[in-house]
Amino acid sequence: MNYSGEQLKAIKEFLYKIADDQLIIGHRNSEWTGLGPVLEEDIAFSSIAQDKIGQSLHIYELLHTLGEKDPDSIAFTRDAKDFKCCHLTEYPIGGYDFSLMRNFLFSHSDHARFEMLSASAFEALANIAKKYKGEIKYHIMHADTWIKQLGNGNEESRAKLQAALDTCFNMALGIFEDSEYVFELKELKVFDGENILQEKWFESISLVLGDSNLKIPDKSSWKPEYGGRKGQHTEYLQPLLDEMGAVLRLDPKAEW
Amino acid sequence: MTKSFDPRVNRMELPSNDDGKEVLDKQENWETYEVFHQKKRGDQHIHVGIVHAANPEMAILMAKESFGRRRQTANIWVVKSSAVNATSYNDQDIFETTPEKTYREASDYYCMDRIRKYQEEHGIVNRKEARRKKKEAEEK
Amino acid sequence: MYGNTLVENKKNGKSLTEGEDPVKLTEFEARIARGEKIEPMDWMPEAYRKQLIRMIEQHAHSEIIGALPEGTWITRAPGFRRKLALMAKVQDEIGHGQMLYSAAETLGKTREQMLNDLVSGKSKYSNVFNYPAMTWGDTAIIAWLIDAGAIINQVTNAKGSYGPYCRALDRICSEESFHLKYGHDNVVYLATGTKEQRALVQDALTRWWTPIMHFHGPPDKVSEHTAILMKWKVKMATNDEMRQKFLDEYVPKVWDLGLVIPDPKLRKNEETEQWEYTEPDWEEFKRVINGDGPCNKERLQVRRWAEERGAWVRKALINAEQKYSIPLA
Repeated sequence: MNYSGEQLKAIKEFLYKIADDQLIIGHRNSEWTGLGPVLEEDIAFSSIAQDKIGQSLHIYELLHTLGEKDPDSIAFTRDAKDFKCCHLTEYPIGGYDFSLMRNFLFSHSDHARFEMLSASAFEALANIAKKYKGEIKYHIMHADTWIKQLGNGNEESRAKLQAALDTCFNMALGIFEDSEYVFELKELKVFDGENILQEKWFESISLVLGDSNLKIPDKSSWKPEYGGRKGQHTEYLQPLLDEMGAVLRLDPKAEW
Repeated sequence: MTKSFDPRVNRMELPSNDDGKEVLDKQENWETYEVFHQKKRGDQHIHVGIVHAANPEMAILMAKESFGRRRQTANIWVVKSSAVNATSYNDQDIFETTPEKTYREASDYYCMDRIRKYQEEHGIVNRKEARRKKKEAEEK
Repeated sequence: MYGNTLVENKKNGKSLTEGEDPVKLTEFEARIARGEKIEPMDWMPEAYRKQLIRMIEQHAHSEIIGALPEGTWITRAPGFRRKLALMAKVQDEIGHGQMLYSAAETLGKTREQMLNDLVSGKSKYSNVFNYPAMTWGDTAIIAWLIDAGAIINQVTNAKGSYGPYCRALDRICSEESFHLKYGHDNVVYLATGTKEQRALVQDALTRWWTPIMHFHGPPDKVSEHTAILMKWKVKMATNDEMRQKFLDEYVPKVWDLGLVIPDPKLRKNEETEQWEYTEPDWEEFKRVINGDGPCNKERLQVRRWAEERGAWVRKALINAEQKYSIPLA
């Protein structure tokens, strides 16, 4: 498939957005390694973090074949203003309630997005989406199990998850911030649009939250945290990137 | 609080509650489940260890990563440790004479000598002998 | 090796087997001498049970505490390959801890009791982890040489007498091979890289050499009970034997890279085939293991932090009908 300059711009921006989300949330989740509430869950959450970072790597590799820099340079040397991740992924890990809820909301959007992308006309991307179907299925399984069980656990766990949901929800809506290239992506049949994705996402999280004794914030109170897709980030992203690149930036030309 | 070499630690609010109280109550890590792992379709499930979990659904999630993350896996079973019935090692002697019952082993059966003797007595050609003679003749 | 591995013994001159049924003891020792394994619920001398619980438990603690200095560098690992590998390695250490606690649980001590004893300071863990991983170079040296020391210990003890511990060690050994390769690869890249990278790893090696020499525990001449622990195949080799093995296998590899080991006396005596070295400071070892190391307080505080912060998750899912049952194998 041969894309024109403008079309390629649209596709690249799209790919950056997806990969940046995966990298940053994967990085955040990796901060729990060794500190989880139960050893077995520590292990599981770390796998999920590795999966997401692995997925981001694959997409950065695709970007590299489209003329962008190599994955290490893309991920470890860009500054915050050049990142396209959504705010949800940037926030510090907080307590396990926040991290579980963030992961739940994000993974469901990932799941719905990759399902849509399996039918993408951009074959390389469709292949990536199909390849990671199994991993994302486990991420959903994991997230749903924890949300349901803690939602139905005791009053403390229900209240904590509800508070986390209330905190995360507007951040999560920021996932679906539209790109200026929404029309091009649709026309090229690369991706049908964030609004459709948001609907699918909302349907699937509602099912689980309904079974978990948790209430989704009322639509009248929704205030999506946009800005991430246009390079406007929270105060947390730059320090995260500084830490992530701390060793590599000692000498980006060296082989580590 | 002195600065740590670990940035994560610097983000925690240490020291936490350092009152010397125990951090875990009795059975706060729930129950244990025995895990059985199948490498490929067609293989037996093999016992590989345990996970602590609050219920079977969680046990499956845990077992997948504890025992399925670094090896090829087709399928996993989990069974509560308390549900497994086992023989006692004190009774290992009930299995003691098992290896002696060679009448159940193929290797306990040999009657070639008997066949040969009968053939010699009754003029029946022994096929193996005949083949061997033929081969010797050809080699000469 | 994993802390004070010696069972409190004879404060009053009692032997480790005082009061044990002599017939059962003879049978037990004969089984071990034949090379058969002791399994959960088998009769065993109280000292054997206590010693194994302590050893396996402290090995488990070493894994999860060890995950802290290494885990420090996950968020700063340079590049995808190192980042993913380090995440997987540290995750494996937690997994090893989990497997080792499980083995100790077969002897009747609960995981909760073991974690409580860790956090309170009652149970020990490998002394090396009371030192900080100050730079990326440190993580390379730890991943290579500390893991190497641990593997030598694990491979040796996997031939021991207690079934569950042996099985856990076998599984651990198969996962560790990547750790060693990753560690070595890391050190090689640094040692053969830029001037700054080389300085980074050399500096780490210099600082970590003493803890590395401490790793296999005090010299044999001050270690008591080695004889009976070896008869019971709880200890499969002496501390000095394992240290010699480590030096024999790894010092040449360090020297292959032209790195300097800060011990001018270190050399292999070609006649005796033994490595000679400056005896490391065993007073420092004692001080550190008894709480006076650079990171002891932090390690336990972090572990306490993790357990306390996770309490609501665990408590929310406790089933009123749950029953305690010793794991089978």
